[in-house]
Amino acid sequence: MSKEQKEAQAVMKQHMGLKASQRLSNTIVYIILIIMSIIWLVPFVAIVLQSFRNETNAAGELVTWRVSYWLPKKWGIENYRSLFVDTSFPRWYLNTFIIALVQCVVQTIIVLCMAYTLSRFRFKSRGKLMRFMMILGLFPGMLTMLILYRVLSDLNMTGEHAVPGLILVYVASSGMGYYVSKGFFDTIPKALDEAARVDGATRFQVLYKIILPLAKPIVIYTILTAFMAPWGDFVFAAYIAHAKEAGMNVAVGLNSWLDKDHIVKYYTRFCAGGVMVAVPVSILFMCLQKYYVEGVTGGAVKG
Amino acid sequence: MKIKRILALLLAVVMLLALAACKPAEDKPAESGKTPETKATEANGETKGGETPATQGGETPADTYELNIKMWVPDAAVDLTKRQIEAFNASNSYGIKVTATIDALSEADSATQVLNDISTAADMYFFAQDQFARLVRGGALAQVPPDMVATIAADNNASVVAAGKSGDTQYAYPLTNDNGYFMYYDKSVIPEEDLDSLEKLIADCEAAGKHFAFEQDTSAWYNASFFFGAGCHSDWVLNDDGSIVGVDDDFDSDKGLIAVKGMEKLVKSKMFLSSSDVAEFANGAAIVVSGTWAYNDVKSILGDNLGATDLPSFEVDGTEYHLGSFSGCKLLGVKPDSDTDRVYAMNLLAQYLTSETAQLERFNELGWGPANNAAAQNEKVLENPALVALNAQNQYAVPQGQIDGAWWDIAKVISAEVKEAKSEDDLKAALSNYSSKIYAIFEKTDAEKNAWSVIGGICGSSWDKDFPMTDKGNGIFESEALELHAGETFKCRQGGSWDVNIGDPNSGDPDGNCVVEADGTYIVRLDVNAETIELIAQ
Repeated sequence: MSKEQKEAQAVMKQHMGLKASQRLSNTIVYIILIIMSIIWLVPFVAIVLQSFRNETNAAGELVTWRVSYWLPKKWGIENYRSLFVDTSFPRWYLNTFIIALVQCVVQTIIVLCMAYTLSRFRFKSRGKLMRFMMILGLFPGMLTMLILYRVLSDLNMTGEHAVPGLILVYVASSGMGYYVSKGFFDTIPKALDEAARVDGATRFQVLYKIILPLAKPIVIYTILTAFMAPWGDFVFAAYIAHAKEAGMNVAVGLNSWLDKDHIVKYYTRFCAGGVMVAVPVSILFMCLQKYYVEGVTGGAVKG
Repeated sequence: MKIKRILALLLAVVMLLALAACKPAEDKPAESGKTPETKATEANGETKGGETPATQGGETPADTYELNIKMWVPDAAVDLTKRQIEAFNASNSYGIKVTATIDALSEADSATQVLNDISTAADMYFFAQDQFARLVRGGALAQVPPDMVATIAADNNASVVAAGKSGDTQYAYPLTNDNGYFMYYDKSVIPEEDLDSLEKLIADCEAAGKHFAFEQDTSAWYNASFFFGAGCHSDWVLNDDGSIVGVDDDFDSDKGLIAVKGMEKLVKSKMFLSSSDVAEFANGAAIVVSGTWAYNDVKSILGDNLGATDLPSFEVDGTEYHLGSFSGCKLLGVKPDSDTDRVYAMNLLAQYLTSETAQLERFNELGWGPANNAAAQNEKVLENPALVALNAQNQYAVPQGQIDGAWWDIAKVISAEVKEAKSEDDLKAALSNYSSKIYAIFEKTDAEKNAWSVIGGICGSSWDKDFPMTDKGNGIFESEALELHAGETFKCRQGGSWDVNIGDPNSGDPDGNCVVEADGTYIVRLDVNAETIELIAQ
């Protein structure tokens, strides 16, 4: 006992000796981190500030263009009001929200079923299937863009009908994103399944009574990534929407305000739109945040 | 235990929801997939069932002809176009009734969107002239019916009409003639007497600590201004299919050197800003070079301090050169269709939409400068400050023809190289770098474009084969020994093109070709400096 105490004291002493230099290095690290976080945060803060800028010029027009100062001279929510009343933004927002919601539900189910199957079942050519999907996954998705466009166009799911088209495309490929979940499921001891099976549980009961409660972080992670993806997709969404406002998602729609005919009149509304896009994703993220890190790292134990 | 049950229930609900959510994704296309087909057949039925519509020549059509079309026009013009189409329905004597679905699309993106998928593209669309060649090549433009070509040519500005032409074929209707740039300035900073001199303007901006914004680093459209100002030209040769087959360009010359010296003055100024965004006026700029589209925006930002005028002159070695510019236009295109009646009806509509009235309406509501000659002389048009400035600049402008897409990227880097240049040699290097790149587009090296050759009705060829010549120094070039016959004609040309060629003006041949006097084997010797050709018998 006393020996251990002594050792502990020695360790403590060592630490005490290091204290000054440790403090110094901590200070430096913090300064670097603070500077980095400022650099990272500046664009976001700027967008939020601009979106609340509400001043008028001599002629009484709203100053909607880029200006050289940061802090608005007059604050207000006119940009947000106008964004939702005068523009097609609500349509874009709704489009994206529908896509995100459907994808979030469908993709989560597909991914979890896929991961469970590949983790727990042993069937013929399971290995081949996994290798095949991995090889498919190695091709950049852009390669398929032309042919997917053709197919969607024949199904009349482009232009103003782009929303179901985009959902179909996003969801159709979701089965291949099972890796992280499968990795996580592999870490749950098989003995649990077997015990449940001995007690008479079906395979499905094993999944939803045993595996899913244990895999909560990974379920949350899957939901989050599925919900977030459509908000940022630009290339494919722009191609499918085919310049039709009714079929655009927020990224494509907001981008259409950046050309020379729009930017001066839409700059502050563009910023407001940017803030609005961040809202649902942020809310979801904050609610589910505590599971997120666990989910990302949990599945990484083995593949 | 309870929690598990609830979880199970939740999962079941989620799965049910998912199934429900799946449905619209699969159902909708099937449903909506039907609609266009049925619509299409209906439309066809009407077309064929309905009495003969306006036929070629536009003789009396019986009853009405229903025309269902899709149109793409810029956001701002959607409402006006709807009204104009209604006016066309009410006024046309052919009985055409147009039902148009109009979508907003910037004319800068038309070619991209049309060529993405021609089958679903709009039937009629506005586009900026620089997309013309791509659209013709892509088969996205129908030819203008021959009986309409003459009217278009007579009523509109010649350079705009030419912009809608590939070879001798008219493909597009003139819509505006306002796609150029000039100078907006802040009257409170820039004194009026300095407006004509680039050097004084730069000095004013530096003194006031305000930016001089002129997009040089990222846009060849703007930085070509200096080259055109110095008298350079860059012309691209187009064939009837809309393919670019050659270029005639002298940026890499003494004139080009003058241009880059002028450019150097601007881009090396500490107040220079490479931008054409008029929002710079709110960010410390006193001058922004931009176009008519920005007029209302500048008006909002600067209010009464708005000034608009033509570009200034720059001075090199005691001579003043007025900055040039590109002048361009917007065109209206009609998509080809197998139904000739339909195409003809669309052409009638296009003719109406580009008429004097329609162009004037567009000026009044949108500020678009008309291409129509009569409309351009309208009082209000002549009073608009932005159009006045543009017209003043247009005297120095070069009509923007069809330019190879690669040119924009090749030419825009000149200004960055000029900014880095430390001596005149660096400037020359920038130019020769430029010219070697543009000739590489046609896979011609400098050596190839400088090489001379003999061409003519000689040695069994008929003006279709170049016989190479070797450089003997001092501007003397000699061919191989050629077997020539009396009466055969030939010329010498440079670079395999007719831009530079030498014949014999005194030979009596109407085309100024050299004429062989007697049969024999000769070496053709060319003296480039004296511009003489002699035959040396072997």
